[in-house]
Amino acid sequence: MDHPVTYILLLPLIGAFINAVAGWKMPRRAVETIACASVGGSFIAACMALAGMDGAASVTLYDWLSFGGFSAPAGFYLDALSVTMAVMVSGVSFIIHLYSVGYMREDKGYARYFMLLNLFVFSMLNLVLASNLTLLFVGWEGVGFCSYALIGFWYTVPGYATAGRKAFIVTRIGDVAFGVAIIWLFYLAGTTDIPAINALASSRIPAATATFIGLLLLSGAAGKSAQLPLTVWLPDAMAGPTPVSALIHAATMVTAGVYLLMRLFPVVSLSATALSVIAVVGCVTSFYAATAALAQHDLKKVLAYSTISQIGYMFMGVGAGAVSSSLFHLFVHAFFKALLFMGAGCIIQALDEEHDIHKMGGLMIRMPLVFLCFLSGALALAAAPGTAGFFSKDEILTATLSNGSALYVVLWAMGELTAFITALYIFRVVFLVFRDEPKASPKRLPRIMVYSLVPLAMLALVGGLINAPANWGGTERLSAYLEWGGVAPALKFSRQWLVQGVSASVSVCGIAMAYYMYVYNPAWRKKAAARLSGIAGFLSAAWYLDALYNKVVVGTYVMVSGFLWKKVDGLVIDRSLDGTAAGIAGAGTGLRSAVTGRASTYIMSVIIGAAAMLAYFAWS
Amino acid sequence: MVPFSHILILAGITFALGVVCVAVRRNILMILIGVEIMLNAAGLAFVAGSMRWGMPEGQIFVLFLMAMAASEVSVGLALVVYLHKRKRSVDVDDFSDMKG
Amino acid sequence: MNATIFYILGACAVSATLLAVTRRELVHVVVYLVMSFFSFSLIFYMMGAPLIAALEVIVYAGAIMVLFLFIIMMLEMGKPQTPQKPFIRVWFPVIALGLVILISSVALFVPGSDIPAHGGFISPRTFGQALYSRHMIAVEAASLLLLFALVGALYLGRRD
Repeated sequence: MDHPVTYILLLPLIGAFINAVAGWKMPRRAVETIACASVGGSFIAACMALAGMDGAASVTLYDWLSFGGFSAPAGFYLDALSVTMAVMVSGVSFIIHLYSVGYMREDKGYARYFMLLNLFVFSMLNLVLASNLTLLFVGWEGVGFCSYALIGFWYTVPGYATAGRKAFIVTRIGDVAFGVAIIWLFYLAGTTDIPAINALASSRIPAATATFIGLLLLSGAAGKSAQLPLTVWLPDAMAGPTPVSALIHAATMVTAGVYLLMRLFPVVSLSATALSVIAVVGCVTSFYAATAALAQHDLKKVLAYSTISQIGYMFMGVGAGAVSSSLFHLFVHAFFKALLFMGAGCIIQALDEEHDIHKMGGLMIRMPLVFLCFLSGALALAAAPGTAGFFSKDEILTATLSNGSALYVVLWAMGELTAFITALYIFRVVFLVFRDEPKASPKRLPRIMVYSLVPLAMLALVGGLINAPANWGGTERLSAYLEWGGVAPALKFSRQWLVQGVSASVSVCGIAMAYYMYVYNPAWRKKAAARLSGIAGFLSAAWYLDALYNKVVVGTYVMVSGFLWKKVDGLVIDRSLDGTAAGIAGAGTGLRSAVTGRASTYIMSVIIGAAAMLAYFAWS
Repeated sequence: MVPFSHILILAGITFALGVVCVAVRRNILMILIGVEIMLNAAGLAFVAGSMRWGMPEGQIFVLFLMAMAASEVSVGLALVVYLHKRKRSVDVDDFSDMKG
Repeated sequence: MNATIFYILGACAVSATLLAVTRRELVHVVVYLVMSFFSFSLIFYMMGAPLIAALEVIVYAGAIMVLFLFIIMMLEMGKPQTPQKPFIRVWFPVIALGLVILISSVALFVPGSDIPAHGGFISPRTFGQALYSRHMIAVEAASLLLLFALVGALYLGRRD
């Protein structure tokens, strides 16, 4: 019980419990302190676990499920991948908790909010640290539920609760595939223990099955991480409070899909087909989302599509076999995306809940600290040379190119194109929001909101040092750490200078193009926009994917249920029941005619009965 | 000597006539008369039985039968008078308040 | 017992009863019924049950039928009653029922009883001794019954 794992998990759970039971009676400061302290304690425990790591360790807290031949204890597996992930999750959660204290300062539902945030952190840590797939699935569903509850936090606004439901239902589609995969793996390996499954993967799983299992796991991951074809829930999820978007839909929950693929990498990598499908899905999604982000008006929606696009990169990395590069990008993305969302939250609150970037402007001078932090995030996202984002994205692209086959070369080219579009859209936002003429004057923000941006900004800029590439003289610490932890082998990269050169120039070109379009020569942009308005509409509706789903899937379902309601339920069932009732009522009315109230009828019936009895006794 | 069965047949015919009278007539008095006829037929059968076996019990029962018939007729006719007072009619079909 | 007289008396009783059942005037019905009861009484006497014969006349023909006549006169139903519904609809099913009852009971009770009646004679003395020694309780019960009937009839017929 003294192992740090207990505290990592127990503290957020206790915080959630206290806030759930007594939060609505306690003063605001008490609720906030309990919430932040519990997550902070969890972060400290995670760091201690990281410091004390000496090879992979399995800790079992208690016997949870055990019947027949199946046993799934509440056990946690601490190896390089899970502990580093736990540190990142708890650290970013802690910063966002502090940010939320400022952001939700005027909201009446603070107890429910902090309770759900704590519960979310608990579920996510559960997911990350679980040693068997059953417990992981519990955490998986837990984060899904908290996401639904937090997206629909302001449920009295029409449409927000629907957005939460949409998120839950779309991820549910992926969860079905994931569940099937769990059962299949249990059937093949005889256990749901993750280290055991990973060890037995090559021996127990035949080749054809491996592709199927890989695709099922991909479907589950795609649902949770909002990849094609299940991307539609993430832009709608921006209905939730901005800290929720920062934590759940940028840094932690949406990365759970990538984490799953990395966790089960020995299983997934058995089939080259599955890996290529993963890479293709990631690449196409990232291109799709980047083009959609280019045409959005809503600030948070730009960042939502950007998240989808960056996670596509991570999928591409896993598909190329570079687990450590994906993990690196996951961490760095968590830092700068959370930073960007938090900055967006500051801007939105400062401008009195204004979301449209065309109505913002000139905030560079009015909100300097927010501007600097947001700029660091934007540079990291655009992979400007030297930032952490550059190193991580570049490493994924290098891994893709080094893979060798022609497919991966095409993916690499698309990846570079997407990087160009990425730099373009994020700096479009930067220039529109911060440069232009001022359109509204910002309010004062609580200091905690602004200062909590700073640590993330630092990490976004210098975080690349944890895995600086070899050809710059770095030590590639993360890669080595993961390899030492037995998670995945490190790749030998070729043509690193080539890829780095291309990436650097692509990113600089993107920033320059954005500068040209939005600062230097806006008239040209306005003319081009007028001529390309059809394309702009197509992009801003995200290639009409949502409308397509609405028409095909939802429309079919509505049609079928309408048919079942009107025809089957109304006509068949109702009519048969009504008919039965009417029949019985008719029979009753018919029988009633025998009760005439006249004595002669009754006398006659007695005599008939007596005659019948006599005849029966006489003649039979 | 008359065979026992012939007496029984006579009693049966009379009984059937009593049934017909009860079933078909609408006047309450006629119904009561039909009951009297039936009782009388039963009494005949009892007396025949008593003579067949030579025991007086059959006739004793006929005595009680007559006592019962008398008391029943008296109460029944009192009821008829009462009904006539209420509705000015002794047609049994007119008293159909228990209809339905 | 002279068999011939029995059959004549039997025919008389049946025809009197038949007429009684079918008449429309109530007083005629009562008179025909009295005639039927007289025939019965004679049959009883010829079977060797003189006490019952006497009681039949006294109680049935004398008391009960007179009571009927009282009520008929009191309710002024001496005039012919309203006619029945059409003959066929009313009478045929009832006649059929009566025939069923008759034939069934004959078929049930008559076979195996083709033994002549005993032809004995039970005097009032024998009758009385049997009644008051072996069936005393029944006598008491019958007297109670008559008492209840008396009280009931008095109550129902009271003038209020």
